[in-house]
Amino acid sequence: MLDRVVHLLPPELKAVLERLPESSMEHLEEIRIREGRPLELGIRGQSRFAASDGTLRAGSDGAYKPTADICRKLLEKITNHSLYAMEEELKRGFITVAGGHRIGLAGRTILDGGNVRGIRDIGGFNIRIAREVVGSARNLLPKLLDKNRKTIHSTLILAPPQQGKTTIVRDIARSISYGHWGMFENAAGWSGRKVAIVDERSEIAACVRGIPTFDVGPRTDIMDACPKAEGMMMLLRSMSPEVVIVDEIGRPEDAEAIQEASHAGISVIATAHAYDLHDARGRPVLRQLLDDGTFTYVVELKRTAEGFMHRVVAADMKDKLPAAAREPTAAAKGEPERVAQTYSGFQRGDVP
Amino acid sequence: MIKLIGAVLILFAGTMIGFQQAARLAARPRQLRQLAHALQRLETEIGYGHTPLPEALERTAEVVAAPLAELFRNAAEGVKGSDGFTFRESWELAMKNGWSSTALRQTELAVMLRLGSTLGISDKEDQLKHIHLALLQLKAEEDAARDDQSRYEKMWKSLGVLIAVLVVILMV
Repeated sequence: MLDRVVHLLPPELKAVLERLPESSMEHLEEIRIREGRPLELGIRGQSRFAASDGTLRAGSDGAYKPTADICRKLLEKITNHSLYAMEEELKRGFITVAGGHRIGLAGRTILDGGNVRGIRDIGGFNIRIAREVVGSARNLLPKLLDKNRKTIHSTLILAPPQQGKTTIVRDIARSISYGHWGMFENAAGWSGRKVAIVDERSEIAACVRGIPTFDVGPRTDIMDACPKAEGMMMLLRSMSPEVVIVDEIGRPEDAEAIQEASHAGISVIATAHAYDLHDARGRPVLRQLLDDGTFTYVVELKRTAEGFMHRVVAADMKDKLPAAAREPTAAAKGEPERVAQTYSGFQRGDVP
Repeated sequence: MIKLIGAVLILFAGTMIGFQQAARLAARPRQLRQLAHALQRLETEIGYGHTPLPEALERTAEVVAAPLAELFRNAAEGVKGSDGFTFRESWELAMKNGWSSTALRQTELAVMLRLGSTLGISDKEDQLKHIHLALLQLKAEEDAARDDQSRYEKMWKSLGVLIAVLVVILMV
């Protein structure tokens, strides 16, 4: 995983990270760089600090501390030496670079009439390495199919950050677009559907100059770096999609656009930050969408050592959660049954 | 006979030195004008195009003439490599190495180095302000250079010949 982002790092930092053990390098998920403070790495969902000789430890004592100079070089590299071209990104607090990797930034904000205009004195970076897991939604997809319309039901995917929402949603987009409807036997003759993705954070398709770097399927159109609500309406008018996919909804205008789309007969696949359905109901925008019956299904995701686990819940069940166990979102080779039992109702989402 | 050949050589050399000095004086305002054009181009790329800096510099290099184009191209090359240069280092290196091949002086170099220390590390308005400031300074230099040109260009041309003639007369 390290080799995907190594070109972004200043030589000093690169040297430290290249001394890491092979297995950690392979499972690196996050690199958290804070000026003058220990270098933190996220490996398999766990936090570790790296020393300058590449050893990993749980405590921060003796860890390598990036200097102000290294942080400036890093900032220059990720902004391509052009901070002025990144004003929108700085307003949002993260930069997405080629390959879909998201780099979160923290520092002192610049205010303009009470609104955040940007960040200066950036002292914290979080490099999240994007992963493409083909087949991660293979088991999930058949449960979401609309047999009458031969397409997918409107679905809301819920999970806290870092649980694989984007990875799953990317695989759903690809499968629908190709017409790979999974194990459901009646779906054999169904053709692929026109998919439109509003990729506000450039994470789903990781477009570089408008061209996706991840495989999102042959029938897929992407509105890159576009605000979700506007993007959905634009795609609705211009690209005649059959399935619209959006990542991380949460603002009132998003809800409006989603309702607009779903009443136009288009299936909407959306993701949102929430632990489960009950949690999601605490967010006004999501509660409204759920109450209006915009979504047919809600999927709760959880990432475990065995892979992505999911639980499909009918959205109109209000507050009552079914006792169904979570299952993997894709078939585990060899031992799917055991996995399904271990995680009380969660099912895995990928092939490990 | 040898004296005659010597006299001719001295006359030729003196004339050439005079013409060369005059050419330098003429090249300076021209290159200053080109440099100002280049910075205006950069201003457009940054202000309206939001073009990333390395690309903006390359496009700038395409529109200016020979000795100046190299400066911008080298600055852009420097940050593209894997040496981990900051933009400022790359810019300084390119300017200092390439400066001797231009007809420009140390004052302009100082203006450009000051500009380089601010490029790419602030928001758009700030970038445009710095480029604008550099343009104003170059404009002042250009006016002074034109003054020098009109005053000294002809003088150098005739002075070269006249000094050569003086030397010949003294020798004979």
